[in-house]
Amino acid sequence: MIVGRRPESVAIPALPGEVERRRLANGLEVCLLRNRQAPIVSTALFYRAGCRDEAPGRAGVAHFLEHMMFKGSARYGPGEVDRRTQELGGTNNAFTSHDVTAYWFAFAADRWSEALAIEADRMRGLRLDPREVDAERQVILEEIDMYRDDPWEALELDVVAALFAGHPYGRPILGTADELRASGRDELADFHRRSYRADNAVLVVAGDLDETAAARVEEALGGLPAGDGERRAECPPPRCPERPTRVERRQGEVARLLVALPAPAADEPDHAELQLAAALLAEGRSSRLQRELVEVGQLCLGISATVSEHEIAAYFGVAAELLPSTDPGDVERRLLAALSELGTPAGEDELERARQVLRTDWVHEHERIHQQAVAAGVALTQFDLEQPGRVLRRVEEASAEEVAAAARRWLDPEGGIVVGACLPEGRRQSVA
Amino acid sequence: MIVDAAARSAFVARRMPGAPVVALRLVLPGGSRREAIPGQALVTGRMLAEGTAEHDWHALADLAERRGMSVAGWASLEAHGVAIDALGSEWERALELAAELAFASEFPADRLEWTARHAAAELTAQEDQADLMTARAFAEQLWAPNPKGRPLQGDAESLARLGREECRNFHAAALRRGGWLIVAGEIDESAVAVAAERCFPRLAPAADDGFSPAPPPPRAAGRREVRTRARDQAHLLVGQRTVDRRHPDYEALELAAVALGAGAGLTGRIPNRVRDREGLAYVASADLVAGAGLDAGRLTAYVGTGPKNLAQAERAIREELARFVAEGISERELANARSYLLGREPFRRETARQWADLAAHSLVVGLPLTDAAWRRDRLAAVDRGAGDAALRRHIELDALAVTTGLPTVD
Repeated sequence: MIVGRRPESVAIPALPGEVERRRLANGLEVCLLRNRQAPIVSTALFYRAGCRDEAPGRAGVAHFLEHMMFKGSARYGPGEVDRRTQELGGTNNAFTSHDVTAYWFAFAADRWSEALAIEADRMRGLRLDPREVDAERQVILEEIDMYRDDPWEALELDVVAALFAGHPYGRPILGTADELRASGRDELADFHRRSYRADNAVLVVAGDLDETAAARVEEALGGLPAGDGERRAECPPPRCPERPTRVERRQGEVARLLVALPAPAADEPDHAELQLAAALLAEGRSSRLQRELVEVGQLCLGISATVSEHEIAAYFGVAAELLPSTDPGDVERRLLAALSELGTPAGEDELERARQVLRTDWVHEHERIHQQAVAAGVALTQFDLEQPGRVLRRVEEASAEEVAAAARRWLDPEGGIVVGACLPEGRRQSVA
Repeated sequence: MIVDAAARSAFVARRMPGAPVVALRLVLPGGSRREAIPGQALVTGRMLAEGTAEHDWHALADLAERRGMSVAGWASLEAHGVAIDALGSEWERALELAAELAFASEFPADRLEWTARHAAAELTAQEDQADLMTARAFAEQLWAPNPKGRPLQGDAESLARLGREECRNFHAAALRRGGWLIVAGEIDESAVAVAAERCFPRLAPAADDGFSPAPPPPRAAGRREVRTRARDQAHLLVGQRTVDRRHPDYEALELAAVALGAGAGLTGRIPNRVRDREGLAYVASADLVAGAGLDAGRLTAYVGTGPKNLAQAERAIREELARFVAEGISERELANARSYLLGREPFRRETARQWADLAAHSLVVGLPLTDAAWRRDRLAAVDRGAGDAALRRHIELDALAVTTGLPTVD
């Protein structure tokens, strides 16, 4: 049964196409995003369950379960989801974040319904065969090793752990080897029962949809139970450091710096202003740090600045990969000075360049149907469907003084900043 | 629209209703396979965005960013050129900019010095990526002295030898050979054609001049071991050269590759064995025509795993390859692989950028890759007999090259 006789049908400026939203009787939120730019349909099923929902001592269970969703359910044996996807010429994947876990498929428009059957089957009938659990744990332990070998991945884990110390956002998504070894079928089944239920999920179906799409969703997923009990516990905001913190590791051939500061979540005031600040700082070859550290200064291979999109709190990050001959302390001082300078209003001309870079980025990052499905899923699960549009509007409207004021509030190099350095193993001096 | 190298025009325009981005690709047949100094093609390509008679690098970057364009000079094994992705309304300015970069680049010495130094630093930074270092050694093992055996960047010594004249002449020689200009997006094709004629009056379609780079060594069994900067993971590559993109067996091997491990998710004989059955790795994959273009592609089976698992992983790969060659591809595997590859076709041209890149590859290799019917017919023509014969012709089990990248021992 479909709740609401007249589905809401609107166009949202941030994503192309027309949106139709429904809520099934079992609580599943459904968003159909009609966009006929290509004969493709992408589905994205989001669960409001991520690392932050893991029990103490069970870090990594959310991601472990994501793996197990491909290892056998009532109608799809181990590996069958991938085999069926391949037979149909599609593609699939999944991701776990601190806030959500999502599963997506993309198929040609004439064969996408199988994705719904798969999602229904593994929401209702996940097997969690103990032999498969043990085998997959080994695979994840290899995955942990793989990420630990990557200097950027390892540095980011250290920095985020320091910034969000004591909070679930500080946990590694893959968990730790010890906690993974302590987690088995029971923990996975418990997480699945609590979180993988229709009334805790959002389904986005995007692309070249015909008029039968809503009925197909209803037929495949409308019969699932809603689930019972509490869905997810409240998660308080993190308490970030109040003073500068340093983390340092030795790995690799070139030095890498990652500076992170607490930032407002994507639906809070100042988030869009900080996106503009990031663009002023390091988006495009004309940006401040690209010129100072890469194109003119020739001290770094590359530099980037981003604002994360966590649900409860975000972070503003600046990352620099240094040339082998560069002094990391010099780059760090320049990064911190550039953060301070953001507190002074930019010229309108410079700010307009930053706005245009962000507009262009948004278009490029949401060109594909699958990207549109995931963006809608993230917005609906963590915020609301209008959130991307609000951020884009604020990017257009924020003045130079407002951007500078946000930078003064959030980007204080003397405040709760975490400076992470990954130095070459042979280098003995510390930075700064 | 059918795009192939027999096309008489150097211009290809494709209207894609609803596409928010217009993709422009200028493709000049001067890639690393033609370079005299390793790194010459890449540095030349990148230098196209580093300054013209009219604009210095900063003015070019500023102009692009203010108009919502991404502008890059690029190079591959086979070509170099200009890639511009612009918002739809800017297609004409993008064309004019591409012409300026193609015909009026100045190759300023100070920017060349930085571009070469940046490329050398990239090589150093890549040493921190253990899988890439292993892949580099594997490529060298299979191809050297052919240009496929080295990174596009060349090496620090060769980059230091590159001067303005080397880049300017390399680019001029490529322009003399002709090239192609591809524009895809929500455009008026006839208006683009007129503007392209105006901006690129001297551009003729490139013709195949039969150029061949230095040949690779004979296929032979061999083993190479490299020490990487990884702390935990080892990387294993097993393979050999196979066929180029124009070879009649290409599609048969492409279909077989899907059955082996080049398809969706974790399907295929090698991922099934290495990851699912033996739990040895997070990443396991296999291909039979990886990187095929004008020069041969390769059989590559890859596993990233703990050092203690290497021998078991290599044994598993060898056994699966031997079984595949002996048994051949099954009817079901063949049907699935065909369905998979045909199902992937819309995804290869979903966006203007993808379509333009596919058209560029199509023109370089001289095949109508953007023609869905041609593609369907080629895949449909492969039966089990053809697949099995291709496997036996091109996989030599006693001539497999093996490269292992081992973590640093403290």
